[in-house]
Amino acid sequence: MLGPAVLLIGIFILVPMVLTVWLSFHDWSSQTGFNAARFVGLRNYEDLFAPISVGRDFRRAFVNTAIYTGLSVIIMIPLSVLLGLLVHQREVRGGQFLRTVLFATYMVPMIAVALVWSKLYSPTEGPLNQILGWLGLGPQPWLSSPDTALYSLVVLNIWQQIGYFTVLTVAGLTQIPASLYEAARIDGANRIQSFFGVTLPLLRRTLLFSSVVAVINAVQVFEPVVLITQGGPAGSTNVLTYHIRRVGIERAQGGMGSAMAVAMMLALIVAVVAIFAFNRRGEEQ
Amino acid sequence: MSAQRVSGIGRSAMVLLIIVLAVVAAFPLVWMVLSSLKTPQESMQVPPVWLPADPNLDAYGEVYGVIDAGRSMLNSAIIAVSATLGILVTSLMAGYAFAKYRFPFRNLVFALLISTMFLPPIVTLIPLYRMVSEMGLAGTLLGVVLPQLGNAFGIFLMRQFIAGVPDDLIDAARVDGASELRIVFTVVAPVIVPAIAALALFAFTFHWNTYLWPLTVLQGNTDNYPIVLSLGRLLSYNRGAMNTGLVMAGATLAVLPPLVLFVFLQKFFVDSMVGSGVKG
Repeated sequence: MLGPAVLLIGIFILVPMVLTVWLSFHDWSSQTGFNAARFVGLRNYEDLFAPISVGRDFRRAFVNTAIYTGLSVIIMIPLSVLLGLLVHQREVRGGQFLRTVLFATYMVPMIAVALVWSKLYSPTEGPLNQILGWLGLGPQPWLSSPDTALYSLVVLNIWQQIGYFTVLTVAGLTQIPASLYEAARIDGANRIQSFFGVTLPLLRRTLLFSSVVAVINAVQVFEPVVLITQGGPAGSTNVLTYHIRRVGIERAQGGMGSAMAVAMMLALIVAVVAIFAFNRRGEEQ
Repeated sequence: MSAQRVSGIGRSAMVLLIIVLAVVAAFPLVWMVLSSLKTPQESMQVPPVWLPADPNLDAYGEVYGVIDAGRSMLNSAIIAVSATLGILVTSLMAGYAFAKYRFPFRNLVFALLISTMFLPPIVTLIPLYRMVSEMGLAGTLLGVVLPQLGNAFGIFLMRQFIAGVPDDLIDAARVDGASELRIVFTVVAPVIVPAIAALALFAFTFHWNTYLWPLTVLQGNTDNYPIVLSLGRLLSYNRGAMNTGLVMAGATLAVLPPLVLFVFLQKFFVDSMVGSGVKG
């Protein structure tokens, strides 16, 4: 019964995972067999921290990914609560409709999303600067300036993913017993007080799960970069998945790329553990 | 908060907010479809025109001139359908084993498999690419699909739902002499059809949309490109505003299948997310 699944996941996920770690200690061209790998100890890792271009490019990609991920999560999770409340409420109609529209964007291929937004962002022919003009705001360079390109990708990410996290929030909201709100009301709590006293504490586990998933999704950003920005302008959107693939496969530096992948994995584990620790501290208070 | 009523002004504000948010959320996709119907001149106009004066499907015809769109859509369908079927079979079997069998290290094996759900694909991409190449599958659709046939989320979802299937039902089938495989597919599966439907929809959409792995393994073999990869060829066909209609027409084609599926079957998607153990 377990055979097929264990075999497939073992061969195509667990074995490559172990190989990635093993290769990270080797000098190896991904154009050659694994037996051609030459052991170099920690040298790949030393290079990642060294003041040479390999290290600088990697660290830039790392920081870009961290900024992209951090901003995505910090904006998306509170926004998912606001949208979740709007979808969940039964006082005015339209909640279900909003959910449908939001979740539909999540079903769409990221590559199509990236293409559409590259046109929306177009400084002259795009509608976004036109709308800014109507609102009396100046035009933005969006993807064409190193100062704004990464943030433009964050907006794109939030637009695509928010429906998923909104639905998760709604799932959490449906679990909160109505009797708790009733009790809060009898105690004289107003809506804002019952939000902070009842809703938010009981959403804690949902939001913990959402945050972890949002981080794991965000560090995988790839399509808009490979298709639209190619890491530019001036390296401002060079992110880890794009960079690791370029080094490890396109430049065939498989050992170095593997070291970068391991470093990324370790950073991700640290981030997830930090989110859990942050959550636990909040729970104790 | 249903116990507390809001004032008339509050209600109007909420309705307005919902409308604004829905418009903002829908805008990019609406813009995509509108742009695909414009003439090249309209696409390049500054400031942009929103509605095509003379909506036409010329851009869609042009898509078929630049890429073999039919072949690309077929490749996408082959990848998405075969990955989905494979995932359903392996997940049902493994989910059944984890839900109904007792064996040593069960929880450890389960945890190990499930942990792969949270692994970003880039972490295993480099050696996997090499392994699939050495199997002689680089550039092939089989190379795209084969590594995707075991799926941790599928196993997790199936175990959750199969655990709720009564043991009596399974024991009765065993008394009748049914094999274990037969029990999985003819006794257990019919009881959890909604969960299977949800998994099928998620798997299909995911593998229709997936980009990184096909791009890596197909290595420029454009004959086998799924539509999401062919979109990149449309973009590079003629960079800049010139090709806006072409690219938006291609994007519309790529978006349609998952979007149509979702619109008709969204209840399954949402219910399974609520019911799959992601609980507050």
